[in-house]
This record gives sequence, C-alpha cells and structure tokens, in this order.
Amino acid sequence: MPGARHSRFASLHDVELCTHAATGERRAFGELVRRHGSAVRGVLRRMGAQAAEADDVAQDAFLTAFERIAEFRGEGTFAGWVKKIAARLYLRRLHRDRKLGAMTAEAIEEEADPPRGDADATIDLEEALKVLGSVERLCVTMCFGAGLSHSEAAEALNLPLGTVKSHVKRGLDKLRTRLAPENGVALEGRRGNG
Amino acid sequence: MAELEFERRLERLFAESRELPDAGLFAERVERRLDAGWTARRWLIGAAGVVGGVIGASQLMMTNLFQRVETAGDSARLLSSSFVHVSTGADWVAAVSNGGTVVWVAAGLAVLMMGFVLTRVIGEI
Repeated sequence: MPGARHSRFASLHDVELCTHAATGERRAFGELVRRHGSAVRGVLRRMGAQAAEADDVAQDAFLTAFERIAEFRGEGTFAGWVKKIAARLYLRRLHRDRKLGAMTAEAIEEEADPPRGDADATIDLEEALKVLGSVERLCVTMCFGAGLSHSEAAEALNLPLGTVKSHVKRGLDKLRTRLAPENGVALEGRRGNG
Repeated sequence: MAELEFERRLERLFAESRELPDAGLFAERVERRLDAGWTARRWLIGAAGVVGGVIGASQLMMTNLFQRVETAGDSARLLSSSFVHVSTGADWVAAVSNGGTVVWVAAGLAVLMMGFVLTRVIGEI
C-alpha cells in the first residue's frame, strides 16, 4: 500500500525522514522530495537554468543526496543541504558545457550602471533577478538562495574570492534599487534622505 | 544597518519559494529513478553472487573434495569402531573396580579420543 506509507511519512519531521532514508527507505526520501523539490528547482531556475535543465539537475541533486544521506547530520535544514548540492552540480554542468567561462567574460563587458528601479511597484524576485548579469545572478543566488558562503561560492565557481564578493555586491546594489521595500517606501529614497 | 536588513529580506524572499504545479510528478520521477537504481543494484549483486557460486563450485570439483570427504568418512568410521572397543574396555574396568577415579579416567580418554577424531577429520579435509 504505497498510499498508506506516504501518509505515514507525511506526518514525520525532515530529520526523522532522513533517518528512515538512511536505512534505505526510498518512500521516506520520496516524501522529502515532495516537500522540498520545488524549492530546489526554484533555486536552480533563479541561478539561470532553464526549467528542463533545472529539473534534471534537481533530480541528480536528490539522487546524490540519497546516496550521501548518512552525511546529513541535521545541522542545517535538509532543503538547504540539497540546495547546496544542486548549486554545485549546476556549476559543474556549466563548467562541462564551457558556459561558465563565457558567462565570466560576458560579465566584464556588461554595463556598469545599475538600472533605475521602479520604486512604486513591488517587483517579483524572479523579475528583479533578470536585471542582474549572469555571473552576478549566479553569485547572489548561490550566497542568498543556496546558502553558500562567499568562499564556498568562489571555490565552486573557480573564481577569486574578491571577484565573487564584488559580483555579489554589484548584484545586491542592483536588486536594492529594483526591489521595492516591504513597507512600500523606496530604499533609494530613504538612502537619499538620510 | 539598512544593508543588513536588505540582506535578511533577500534571504527571506529566496526562502519563500512557490510550490510548483508539477511537484508531485517531479517527486514520482525521482522515486522511479531511485527504484531503478535499486533494482539495477540488486541484479548486479545477484549476478555477482551467481558468478562467485559457479567459480566456487568449479574449484571444489577440481580439488577432488568429495573424494577427500569420503576418505575422511572412512577414517572417522575406523576411529569410531576403535572408540567403541575402548569404551567396552572402560566398562569392563569400571565393572571391575567400580571406583570414581576410573570413571574420570575413562571420561578423559573419551575426550582425548574425540579430539583425535576431530583432528584427523579436519586434517583429511
């Protein structure tokens, strides 16, 4: 009765599901995929992957996570752990397809002026990320979406730490001007006043 | 301070991911791949077991093990008949002396004999 087993696992906490999965219980792991699949796929899409590519990488990331489930000790969240695996797998794929080098070269030629933000409208994060250059987008998403530190991101991207930090800073500056603040007052305006 | 607030907000925005409409399908696809990997692994282990078993059996045939076991069986039968003779002797001694020391000596001899039989059998194999 797979349905009954799914409902049994549905009430369990992620850490308990990981313990079951570590004993080879694939249905318990399936429940974890059901819970966190969208988040992992979302991070990959935000990193710039196309939907199909993001799904492929996310699947590989979950399979890798299942193989290495004994390494997960519940220190962070399960979703965060898989997001890191997925981000690294995606970068590996970019390296393999020689896309990352092209992206880095392209980043140097990008215009330096951040686009002017529409302070009145609350813009979706996905939309806001589109104004970032591809490497800036990768760096920001890896650090804020996948939870990698700057040095981890630098290692994964095979870029100097300082370069990653400046990509993140430029990306944040662009996002700050692009994303309307939570209380509806533009951050740019606040910064201008004070 | 505003920068830190913005970074926290950004982290929250990244954490708030929408549930994708095909989340169930995606999970099923992953489960199918897990099951396929598991089945492949089982086949691989099973095939390795069969190959190992065939190699082991052929090696046993080649070393004439069965013939050796038969020889060891004959030796064991011979030793057992000797043991019966000794036991009969021991009964006679016990009947004669009827003392506790003799019983202990007989038991010791029996243990020695059993040890000898086992050693021979293992040696033959």
